[in-house]
Order: sequence, then structure tokens, then C-alpha cells
Amino acid sequence: MFVQAKGIRALAGTSPAVATLAPRGPATAGRIDLLQAVPGLRWLLTRRWFQFAMILPNLVLFLLFLMAGTFGSPVGNRNIIIIFVWILWWFLLISVLVPFLSRAWCIVCPFPFFGEWLQRRALVDVRAVDPKKGKGGPGTIIGRNRYFGWNLRWPKSLTNIWLQNIGFLGLCTFSALFLTRPIVSVGILGALFVIGTVLAVLYRQRAFCNYVCPVSGFLGLYAMASTIEVRSKDADVCAKCKDKGCLAGGERGWGCPWLMYPSKMDRNNYCGLCMECLKTCPYANMTVNLRPFCADTRLKGYDEAWKAFIMLTLALAYSVIYLGPWGFLKDWANIAEKADFTGFLIYAASLWILALLAFPGLYYVAVWLGRRLAGADIAPAKEVFLSFVYPLVPLGLLAWVAFSLPLVLVNGSYILMVVSDPFGWGWDLFGTAQIPWTPVIPDWTPYLQVPLLLVGLAYGLKTGYGHARRLFTARGQPVRAFAPVSVLLTAITVLFLELYLG
Amino acid sequence: MNVGRGAGEGARRLARRLIHQRRGQIVSGMVLLLSLAGFGALGFLVAPTLPKPQERSFTVVARRYGYDPAIIRVNRGDTVRLRFVSEDVVHGFYLEGHDLDVRITPMRSTVEVHRSGHAGEPEVVEEIVFRAEREGKFRYRCSQTCGFMHPFMLGDFVVGPNRLLPTSIGLAVGLLLGGFILMLTKSGPARAMEKDDAA
Ligand SMILES: [Cu+2]
Repeated sequence: MFVQAKGIRALAGTSPAVATLAPRGPATAGRIDLLQAVPGLRWLLTRRWFQFAMILPNLVLFLLFLMAGTFGSPVGNRNIIIIFVWILWWFLLISVLVPFLSRAWCIVCPFPFFGEWLQRRALVDVRAVDPKKGKGGPGTIIGRNRYFGWNLRWPKSLTNIWLQNIGFLGLCTFSALFLTRPIVSVGILGALFVIGTVLAVLYRQRAFCNYVCPVSGFLGLYAMASTIEVRSKDADVCAKCKDKGCLAGGERGWGCPWLMYPSKMDRNNYCGLCMECLKTCPYANMTVNLRPFCADTRLKGYDEAWKAFIMLTLALAYSVIYLGPWGFLKDWANIAEKADFTGFLIYAASLWILALLAFPGLYYVAVWLGRRLAGADIAPAKEVFLSFVYPLVPLGLLAWVAFSLPLVLVNGSYILMVVSDPFGWGWDLFGTAQIPWTPVIPDWTPYLQVPLLLVGLAYGLKTGYGHARRLFTARGQPVRAFAPVSVLLTAITVLFLELYLG
Repeated sequence: MNVGRGAGEGARRLARRLIHQRRGQIVSGMVLLLSLAGFGALGFLVAPTLPKPQERSFTVVARRYGYDPAIIRVNRGDTVRLRFVSEDVVHGFYLEGHDLDVRITPMRSTVEVHRSGHAGEPEVVEEIVFRAEREGKFRYRCSQTCGFMHPFMLGDFVVGPNRLLPTSIGLAVGLLLGGFILMLTKSGPARAMEKDDAA
């Protein structure tokens, strides 16, 4: 038996025909097992207190932001909530955490903290039960863990990211409000705490994170490009595993709170890096890999594709409104102060139509044209469409970085200022309150934005063409199929270049 | 002996294949670089030649939250004269890359000019005059907290020939067309090579 298995594996190494018969494991090309490479990392990530220790300081910080936003100065650039959340946090999130550390924000995110506490009635410990003997008793048993709260199942029709898509677009329509008014930011962050807690009491596990949190949607999409991943090491070990601890939980940890099946995970989208599966796997077969940029390339539904359209449209719209010179557009978006309802309606309607209809429509035409140029295709139209939308992931992510860069370079000095005077009350805790507004290399930012946009385009072209080769097999077909989309991607890049440099 | 020869042959074949693959990578990289450099240079060169330097005067009207003109276009070498008016509250005019920060007060034709070199009392003038020496796009931003949207109150000062724009568009097009060349060559020989590997 053993010999036979070994024989198959040996064969699999030489012949692709047999390789397809062998159990399909996660991709391993270009991966470096960080838990092996970095001493002490496995120890740290498998400590039960790890996530609690990560969240706690952040929770304290966010509660301080809420207090500052409520009681501090109403002037945005004098209040720590605006500067830290919308300048520092946003910049770190989109240009460091997401591209390099996947959904690392979700490790430290304070919003689901209270809800998860109520579900688990534990901050660090695990509630393990033997499902056969543990019947009765308080709470609900899911897998081999005991949970409290109602533990309803999330409605099937909403097990996608459409709520997040619409919620995020809706929220971002009012960006001029929360970017400039501390009290509005308090409302939004406060609402995230409240909704996260209520949904955790009603629905099982991280329903809020998976299906509702507006931040989560784009984190998942852009985490596909990220250079780290949590994956199983050896598919054979998982195939033979009877324990399924990563799914069911046990004495060492909770079953995946994100309702994933970690051992079979092949994308970053819905993995919150909570590290429970590292703890629950009895074979230490789960690990954290370093991997190449843009390693997950498969969008799995229209909800994810539309997320990509929405995000790129928002990057474009914000570049026009916040980095552009046109005052009337700022007035339209700034509804609370200017009360120009017609203007706001034009702005909001254009934004929604562009994000949900016009841009996807244009994209659809390009994909359709490519399929026509290629002639007969074997792949279903939906798969071709989703595959060709994927290039918007690197392109959109890098466009967001290019947009966010001048915000932090120009307004970064406010960070030092509000650290000393978080409420805008005239304090000077660290002697930095009087630092004048000092833009950092504002005249050189275009030289940083150009390479960022070009890197996004390069990865967009590379991944898109990779899909074309997978889907269209005849000679010359892939190029023709991808040509219209690649021209569209380049045109989008040129549009951003015009906005930033022209 | 026979085995040794076989192994030597195998190693040589492996080496040849490695060189072949690397050569492919090197050639691909060269194609892409040439395309980028070519189209980038083309973009750089198509920029218009500048007319003779002129004197350009603008009155910048500041109001919450924008400037009129929103975009000021001049050419390198031009002498730029700026006067300022504020229609509502105190605004600023901080010009990126020009060591110039102006404080504009409503109902007053003079402005206070701050430059980093001149510490202490600001200079009070009716008009600011300078020569546009650096080409490119520089934003002018409000530097006096003037309301909710203050951090986004800005305008564009574009100094021609602004060759960064056509150059970078050239680079994007170079990426696209260089990519096309790579794709076309890949779908031919590269594909055949993969089949070789499989056999
Ligand atoms: Cu102003």
C-alpha cells in the first residue's frame, strides 16, 4: 500500500497526466514557509493569547478615537480620529498591510471584539466539548466547540459580498462628511462596533466580517494580490486527516470563525488570519507562506467582480474630487455644508451608475469583443468574464496606493501634531503640537505615482494574459482574446496618469 | 561507464535546457525594456517645443473650497505674476516645489508671503512675481485652515512642456505593446516548449 502510494507520487512528478489524478493540493510554487524560516513565529502564532494581545492595544486606541471624535475639536485636521483613521490607518492599510500582509488588519480589528467575546464567553480560552457527550448544557455546540448567543445561520441569499459592495459604495458616497467631520466618523466607527456586536449575538461566527463589514469586502478582494497566505502544507496529510480540527475546532482552538475549510483554502479572500487553524491542526500542517505578488487569480462570482469595478471607480472618483482642482465637484460631494442637492444628486448618481453599470458595461464589451476576435472558445462566458476582470485587482490596488500617497505625504505632519493634542484642546503632550503643516516632497509624488500605476498595469496584463492562455488554447487565440481588455486596462492607467500629472 | 556517460549527457541536456529557459527570460526582459524605453523616449520627444518666454498675469480668487482659475498653465521660462483675492475667509496659497506660502485675507489687496529662507516677519506685497523654472505639475494648496474641506482645497499649476506626462503615457503604451510582443512569441515557441517538457 505504502509502496503504491509512493509510486504514484513518483509518477506524478514526471507526468502531468497522472498529476491531475493525484490529490489536488494548494499551489506551492514560489512559496516560502515563514513558520519554518522565522524562528519563534510558530510559537507566537499558536499561543492562545496571540489575537487578544494584538487586538487589545488597538481596541484601546479606537475607543480613544471615539472619545476624541465625540468630545474633541470639530475641526477635522485638529482631531486624532480623522488624522489617525483616514490618513494614517487608511494609508498603512492600503499600501502596506493589504499588499504585503493580506488581511492582517483583521487580526487586530477591534470591531468584532465584543461580539466574539459574547459568542465565546472567553477572551483567550477555548470551550471544547465532545459533541456526543456534551449534549445539553448551555449554549450551542458547533463542531467541537461550545458557543453562546443565537447562532442562527446567515441567510443563503446573502452569503456573498453584495451587501458589502453596496454598503461600501453607499458609505463612500458620503466620504466628504466622514473625512472632514470627527462626529460623523464617530458615528461610522461606532456603528461598526454596534452592528458587529449585534450580528455576532444573532448569527454564528464572523457573519459580520464575512458578509456585512464594508471594509472586509475590499480587503478580501485585494488580499488576493498579497504576498502572504495561510495554507495547508501537505494535501495528503489533510486528505487522510480524520480530526478536521481546522473546521470543527477542539481543545486547542476554535473551528474557523470565518466559516472556511482552512485545509482546502486556495485563496486569501475570506481568511482573516486569526491563526486558529494553526492551533487546531493536530499535524501542524497549516502554515503561513510568503508568496509572489498576485498569486490568487480566480474571482469566483459576480459579487467579487463588481467589488473590483466599485473599487476602481472610487479610486478614480476620489482622485478627481480630492486630488483634482475642480471646486464645484467638492461642493457637490460636500452636501452637509453646501446643501446643493441637485449637485449632490448628479455626483452620487454618476458615481453609482459609473461603478455599477457603465464601467462594468464597458468592460463587458471589451471581454465580448475579445471572445469574438478569438473565435470559438471552450470556456463558459462567465468564467472568461470573471477571469478578465481579475486584472482590476492589481490595477485597482496600485491605483489606490497612488491616490493615497499624496494624502499622507501632504498631511503627514498632522499626525505628529494630533499625537500631542489628540482632542484639539491645546495640549502639548510630546512637544509636537505646534509643528506647522509641512507637506513632504509634494513636488516629487508624481515620480512615485507613475511607477506605482505602471506596476499595477504590468501585473494586470500579466495575470490577464495568464488567464487567456488557460482559457483559449489554439495558437494565437489568447492574444486576440485578451487584446481589447488589455487596451482598456492601459487606457484606465493613462486616465490616472492624466489626472495625476496633466 | 555507460551510466556515467548517460548522467553526463543528462546533465548537459539539463544545462542546455536551463540556458534555453534563461535565454527566453533574458530575451523577454530585453523586449519589454526596449519597448518601455522606446515608447517612453517617444513620449518624451513628442512634447511641444516652447514658444518664447512670456509674462503671464493671473488673479487667483480663493473661496471655500477652490481657486479660480483652478488650473494655471504656463511654460518654463515664463515670468508669472500672481495677485490674490479671497471671497470669504482667510485662505492660503502654498505652491508645491516653489518655497512659496501666501496668506490671503479677504477685503485686502496685499498678501503675506512666507518663504522658508526668510524666517521672522512675512513679506507684505500686492503681487508675487517669479520665473517658472521647473516643468511639471505643482499643486497649490490652501495652507490656512478654512473649513471642513480645507485639506482638499487645491489647484493645479502646470509648467510646460511637462514631459513627465507624455513620457509616462509612452511607458504605459510600451508596456502594453511590449506585452503583446511577448504574448505573441510565448503562444508560439513557449507553448511548444511546454509540450516538450510534458513529453
Ligand atoms: Cu482655504
